[in-house]
Amino acid sequence: MILLQAHSRYLLQILQNRVQNLDKGVELDCHWVEFDDVRYHIQASIKTPNLLHLSVSLPTPPPEIDFSGGLPLGAIEALKTAYGSVVHILDPPKDGFNLTVKLNLVKLPNLEEMKQNLLVKIASVREVVMGAPLRVILKRLASRSVPPNAAELVPLLHRPNESFFIVPQLEKVTVVFPMRFNDSIDTVLATSFLQEFVEARRTAGLNNAPACLWSSTPPNELKEAPQQALSANAGFVSFVISTRHVEGKKLEKTVWSLSTFHAYVNYHVKCSEGFMHTRMRRRVESLIQALDRAKLDENTATAAQSKSFKRLTIEESRGNSH
Amino acid sequence: MDPSTSRPAVVIDNGTGYTKMGFAGNVEPCFIAPTVVAVNESFITQPNRSSTKGSSSWLTQHSAGVMADLDFFIGEEAISKSRNSSTYSLTYPIKHGQVENWDAMERFWQQCIFNYLRCDPEDHYFLLTESPLTPPESREYTGEIMFETFNVPGLYIAVQPVLALAAGYTTHKCEMTGVVVDVGDGATHVVPVAEGYVIGSSIKSIPISGKDVTLFVQQLMRERGEHVPPEDSLEVARKIKETYCYTCADIVKEYNKHDKEPAKYVKQWRGIKPKTGAPYSCDVGYERFLGPEIFFNPEIYNKDFTTPLPAVIDRCIQSAPIDTRRALYKNIVLSGGSTMFKDFQRRLQRDTKKIVDARVLASSARHGSGVKAQPVEVNVVSHPIQRYAVWFGGSVLASTPEFFTACHTKAEYEEYGASICRTNPVFKGMY
Repeated sequence: MILLQAHSRYLLQILQNRVQNLDKGVELDCHWVEFDDVRYHIQASIKTPNLLHLSVSLPTPPPEIDFSGGLPLGAIEALKTAYGSVVHILDPPKDGFNLTVKLNLVKLPNLEEMKQNLLVKIASVREVVMGAPLRVILKRLASRSVPPNAAELVPLLHRPNESFFIVPQLEKVTVVFPMRFNDSIDTVLATSFLQEFVEARRTAGLNNAPACLWSSTPPNELKEAPQQALSANAGFVSFVISTRHVEGKKLEKTVWSLSTFHAYVNYHVKCSEGFMHTRMRRRVESLIQALDRAKLDENTATAAQSKSFKRLTIEESRGNSH
Repeated sequence: MDPSTSRPAVVIDNGTGYTKMGFAGNVEPCFIAPTVVAVNESFITQPNRSSTKGSSSWLTQHSAGVMADLDFFIGEEAISKSRNSSTYSLTYPIKHGQVENWDAMERFWQQCIFNYLRCDPEDHYFLLTESPLTPPESREYTGEIMFETFNVPGLYIAVQPVLALAAGYTTHKCEMTGVVVDVGDGATHVVPVAEGYVIGSSIKSIPISGKDVTLFVQQLMRERGEHVPPEDSLEVARKIKETYCYTCADIVKEYNKHDKEPAKYVKQWRGIKPKTGAPYSCDVGYERFLGPEIFFNPEIYNKDFTTPLPAVIDRCIQSAPIDTRRALYKNIVLSGGSTMFKDFQRRLQRDTKKIVDARVLASSARHGSGVKAQPVEVNVVSHPIQRYAVWFGGSVLASTPEFFTACHTKAEYEEYGASICRTNPVFKGMY
């Protein structure tokens, strides 16, 4: 697996199970947490097996982000256009959550393929909600309409108390990620990973990919950003997204990749640590083998010696061992 | 306060056959996947690539398989991948309840965490499980991988039978004394636990497990000449075991029943040949009850080991301290997927009771009529969640606030090293 998938695997499994056994009403009450502190809670009762209550809680926003009504800008509209009548948004949401929706499984389309697609879409609820403000900006870029606040810095939420920044312009959108890691080893690995990332962009095969830059100091775009957002121990990565990256179906993919960029880097840092351990383990094994070969001779030598029984006094044994 | 203690802990129970993973506080694991990794072999056998340095050769490196260390699958995906292409080969990281291949295990965990549960390991405490006979070195290794690779904030390695006992925690009162009969796919253990302490010296394990039932079913079908494609026969045998096998009360009577009414007892298995795609079908007959029978009459399967499971349980309890024995007989708990056969619990209870009653009768005969022995209560407990009882116990345990204080933390690991995982608190008294 190289890229993280947009849909939550567990949520999709629950939904598919539920749709297949719609007549068998089973009580359901599960909660789980995904990366970047997105929490889910799903509930269903025996009485109404076709209704599911899904609650999602988002990471705590940092102070610079405007979080009207507990949801990112444009999230409600995004939900309505994505799901139509299957999903009904409940207001106010359940205690401790940002969003509660009621899913009515009876209203799913009858065609098997469309049904599956919609279920996958519901399982990617996190992408729909958290990517909403980014999607609005990139859509404007795709239609080449003049952004209302051109060249103004827009902070967007991606991790608890952390945001990444966007500078929308007519022809391009610049996205800047301050990268932070908790562990010192992770920081080092992530830094070299990101530098390699920039390096890789320059090869011939990736000419059409968004331009990518890494710097250890805040880039010019972040001049107006609040001070606390500028402390990043693994540097700053910026991408320049142009219109060709948001055409048609590419839009959703771009939104997802950008809004989970940090998780993506984190995943690969962990993978490379694992890979290094594999190599180290193999090395240790080969060294131990070499050591064992040396030991074997010693063992046979002592075995040969111990055949003769001779009682020694303490002084004699000391003399022998020298 | 550490924010990760406010999130539910991740509970992963790695069994030989299946891995159960999920979040603490739920009643069911999120995923139950076969413990298997499909690795792209072409990557392993490649010569050392460290010489191809430099940024210009990035693409050549890439095509040479720099990313190939991510080219693997786990669980059901692994099985279907290896069937469809020859580039992937299956590795089973756990054998007989012990981790054999740490590389594969590390990859398996990586996929569990990032692809299945999709959580950030730095955000959650982890509860892993181990068999009661795991050596301390393997526990250290687990700790090393969890803390070094995944940076988990805290780790607890629990002993499977104790968790299985804890699974009964919510349904009855808190009963932490009992014998756990854990019949998994790769290992069978009979473990006495008194007040949450494992009585280490009385642990009995037998060489018959779920895997052997599968092999026996496969052997029976082959001997009868059923037309199952050989490359698929183990998988078919496993499916037949899981869907049709049951425990009978009396083997001779069961043979008669089958002979009298074959229409009722003989089942049909339908499959598709993997190579040609042609459908085939075969009969499932005596193996339905003969499979699980190897626990009660092992001589029909294995010439070297002939002690039936009830006798092993009885011996295990007899070797435990005398003041715990009555309590142990009263609470014999089943756990593991291979105890799921229909009526397994009833048969086990009846046979164990028979052994105990015979002994009580013999001793009262020896003592004469003057002494009246108090009857020994034998009770085999089964619950509906037997298949993942260990996981459920872990989920219950990890949702208590005390759990976070019992964990080994990252700070401790950095201070003292992997040796903090050597000792298991269960053998000291904390459950």
